[in-house]
Amino acid sequence: MNYQRILAVAKREWQEIYRDRLFLSLAFVFPITMMIAFAYGLSLDVEDIPIAVLDQDRSELSREYIHCFKDSRYFKFKGYLEHPDEIDELLITQHIRAAIVIPEHFQSNLLEGRPSPVQHLLDGTFTTRARTVKGYMTAITRAFEKDILINFFTKSFGVPPQRVTEQLTPIKVQIRYLYSQAVESSQSLPPRLMVLVLLVASPFLTVVGIVREKENGSIYNMYASDVSRSEYLIGKLMPYMIIATINAFILWAIAIVMFQAPFKGSAVLFIAATLLYVLCTTLIGLVISVFVRTQVAGVLITAILTIVGGTLYSGVLTPVSMLSEDNQLFCHLLPAMYYTEIVDGVFLRNIGLTVLWPNLLVLAVYSALLLVVGYTKFTKRPKA
Amino acid sequence: MEVTGTMSTIIDVENFGKRYRRLDVISNVSVTVQRGEIHGLIGPDGSGKSSLLKAIAGVLDFEHGIIRVFGQRVNSEEEAERIKGRIGFMPQGLGQNLYAELSVEENIDFFARLRMVAPADLETRKTRLLEMTHLERFRERPMKHLSGGMKQKLGLVCSLIHQPELIILDEPTTGVDPVSRRDFWVILSQLLEEYGTTAIVSTAYMDEASRFHRVSLMYKGEMLAQGKPQEIRALVSGTVVVVKASSQIEAFAILKSQYLQVQPIGHHLRVFVGKQSSEQAESAVKGSLSHLEIAECYSLRPELEDVLVTLLIDRNEHKNVGSGPVFKTMGRKNGKRNGPAIVARDLVQNFGAFRAVDHLSFEVSQGEIFGLLGANGAGKTTAIKMLTGILPSSSGNGQVAGVDMQKAAQTIKSRVGYMSQAFSLYEDLSALENLKLYGGIYGLSGTGLKERIEQTLALTGLQGYESEMTQGLPMGVRQRLALSCALLHRPSILFLDEPTSGVDPLGRRRFWEILFQLSREEGVSILVTTHYMNEAEHCDHLVLMYAGRSVADETPAGMKLALRKEAGELLELTVDRPVRVLEVLEENGLSDAAIFGNCIHLLTKNISDTVLKIRFLLESNNLSLHKVDEIPISMEDVFVHRVMALEKHASQRQQA
Repeated sequence: MNYQRILAVAKREWQEIYRDRLFLSLAFVFPITMMIAFAYGLSLDVEDIPIAVLDQDRSELSREYIHCFKDSRYFKFKGYLEHPDEIDELLITQHIRAAIVIPEHFQSNLLEGRPSPVQHLLDGTFTTRARTVKGYMTAITRAFEKDILINFFTKSFGVPPQRVTEQLTPIKVQIRYLYSQAVESSQSLPPRLMVLVLLVASPFLTVVGIVREKENGSIYNMYASDVSRSEYLIGKLMPYMIIATINAFILWAIAIVMFQAPFKGSAVLFIAATLLYVLCTTLIGLVISVFVRTQVAGVLITAILTIVGGTLYSGVLTPVSMLSEDNQLFCHLLPAMYYTEIVDGVFLRNIGLTVLWPNLLVLAVYSALLLVVGYTKFTKRPKA
Repeated sequence: MEVTGTMSTIIDVENFGKRYRRLDVISNVSVTVQRGEIHGLIGPDGSGKSSLLKAIAGVLDFEHGIIRVFGQRVNSEEEAERIKGRIGFMPQGLGQNLYAELSVEENIDFFARLRMVAPADLETRKTRLLEMTHLERFRERPMKHLSGGMKQKLGLVCSLIHQPELIILDEPTTGVDPVSRRDFWVILSQLLEEYGTTAIVSTAYMDEASRFHRVSLMYKGEMLAQGKPQEIRALVSGTVVVVKASSQIEAFAILKSQYLQVQPIGHHLRVFVGKQSSEQAESAVKGSLSHLEIAECYSLRPELEDVLVTLLIDRNEHKNVGSGPVFKTMGRKNGKRNGPAIVARDLVQNFGAFRAVDHLSFEVSQGEIFGLLGANGAGKTTAIKMLTGILPSSSGNGQVAGVDMQKAAQTIKSRVGYMSQAFSLYEDLSALENLKLYGGIYGLSGTGLKERIEQTLALTGLQGYESEMTQGLPMGVRQRLALSCALLHRPSILFLDEPTSGVDPLGRRRFWEILFQLSREEGVSILVTTHYMNEAEHCDHLVLMYAGRSVADETPAGMKLALRKEAGELLELTVDRPVRVLEVLEENGLSDAAIFGNCIHLLTKNISDTVLKIRFLLESNNLSLHKVDEIPISMEDVFVHRVMALEKHASQRQQA
């Protein structure tokens, strides 16, 4: 191994990347854009749901009921409706996502102890969101019912409201969301997105870098010279590793600064894990480029493998434990999940090496395997 | 180095064979190359040259045979690694092995660092190489902004920076303009002599054979012949007779029935007469044409292409190309309109700051075969695109079939046939489906289309290929299929852009016969572009293009005559040390000489005086001169001379 040749290859690669403005901007703009777009677009929290009300009773109680929704941070009150036909139109045009219809005699029925129907209309296009909205609406309605009951008991039997409340809800549930106090995905998602973005971006650049050399034929300079396979591969991959490392730092900064993600764990552990992950993803690029001949094929295969792997089998968007057994197996076969666990642990939970060392080991073994495959399959004397 | 110092065999290939997709593409190829030799690997595209060169360079795995380089086997990757420090390899494609974003100097520096050249050595070598290749001024220029010729010279410099003992060059001159090509060969000869390097070089240009000491002739993965260029020429005895008769078509039909190799060349016919001396051959040809008036008749020595074609005919390869065209209507032309078929006036095309076509003017007469001759990037394709209305011109105007190219692009498209460089066929359609598709595009249908397809297939000799998939067809057949597609709507004008690139000599000859028939019999005007200099001789009329400009506009014969008047006759000196001889001649004011293998070519007006002077010069420098021949001027000589004159003129104007 000769470091002068390695440096020659690395320097030339860097010069080419640096002067190809399109490639250079792609190297940095693409991951940053992906991070920001996903972080904003993929927010899983449901808030400010636009809602409208058709109040046919126009009573004190109906207004009180509606007020509960107006006060909630989950709903955004868009106004009263005059006619039932309006509901359809507003839902279709997506001006509202839910509507409430309060029929006549709502107040009188309730005051006289009779049940009154209330209709909740929901846009069910996205089932998860619809279910969440339904949950909020039901919870608000239950709270309202409780108030009516308290009122009833107080007025009818003279029991103080405090006492009624205690009798009605004897169990005091106390929930504390650990590791992400606000239960806002905007805090836990951006750090995890690093996993996905690095998984897609670094192999992508590596594949384009290696395969374009194959495609235009300049790789024959390497084949025909006495530069060894390892010298070439190290020199060639070095610039891409560096770019990916810089990107990892930028993504980390975005998560902390733009999205106010907490960072509770050890920086040293995180840097070590990130370097391992960057190596691992760059080597995925190497392995793909050994098997393809054209840039188009390389980019397609990379996109499919990394995007599918990164979104479905990485634990970034859906916790691994929520997947079916088969899919969990997939997750364990891919490197992303192990890094996701490290990211979660370091950002949100301050978990240290004592717990996370197997994850680091897996990433290291994974990298070694990829390197072996890439190195043995890369030949300076191909068959065609 | 010590081990091989005494050995004179540098490359030894024994029964080399290569399989691609379970097909034996190359088999039983054996070659030896001696130290100090410039060995030429000549053959059309697809003959296996690249594969052989890559195998020798140790960058391609192969299945059969043994290859030794410097006495070291290169049959496995480990074995091949041992020779790589001592070889230089330049793969095919203009500038393909270089790095577009890097400057000339950075490219050289990279190769030097990769090859561990000591910094001091690098500086001296770099200075010398840049000076020799005239690239000194362009040190800082990014490689992507170099011309084709400069890229190839830079490629050569990069491959030689570590002073390898063997250099392997894959088609270094393909697509390069003749001036740069000539330059390239001189530099290569000089460098190889200076460094004592051995070279193996491939080329698809048959006329480059004379550049080499020894030549291997390859065809479809087989070795046809090997030896010195003159030895290979001697493999086939015979004479080429050029004749001009009162009726070219009639003469062609008669000669075609008697001889296997008859080519229409402009208004002449070129006949290869086997196994006969020039007198015998001439009288035999004259005898066959006894009832016609013969305006001209002379004989030439056979070219390498004649030899290749003869060897192929001996192997019955010509049967695969189909029989020649059948002439039904003797000499009847359908020229209904008068006036020129195509007129170009001051055409200019700017792509940003780059001027691709620079005030180009020419006229093509009805029924004429007109050639635009120039290197890759000379502006030929751009000119065609402007005339056919595909690309709006920056300025200037043109008429095609009597209509203005700017105003009536649609009318033009219905009157012309256009065949593009890549043949633009649909690979996954059958031949017939391609024809039907193109017929449909031109508004033909039903029995009209069916009839036209039959007629065109008969003309191009493609009957029997109808149901075959296009992607599986050989290049020559594809080329004729593309021509058929362009002919379906009976265009009166044909535009053919590099129609013969990548087609072997047999296919090329067959193609030109069809063009001849179209022009002479159906009165179709044909505009054809090519970068094969020798192919230009087929045209009735030529424009030479260089850097977007027209540098000559004449018949091929007229061009040669003009050069003869201006610069005299062409002499060929056979010598032992051509590089040294060239230096001596240049030192003594005999410039414009060029190296061709072991020969020097030189134009002179006063033959006897020049020969005397040369003999004296060489004798006083202890250089031997074996013989001096007067040889015919080629189109390449014309081209080089014209461009040089133009450049000299430009530099004089710059100084003034």
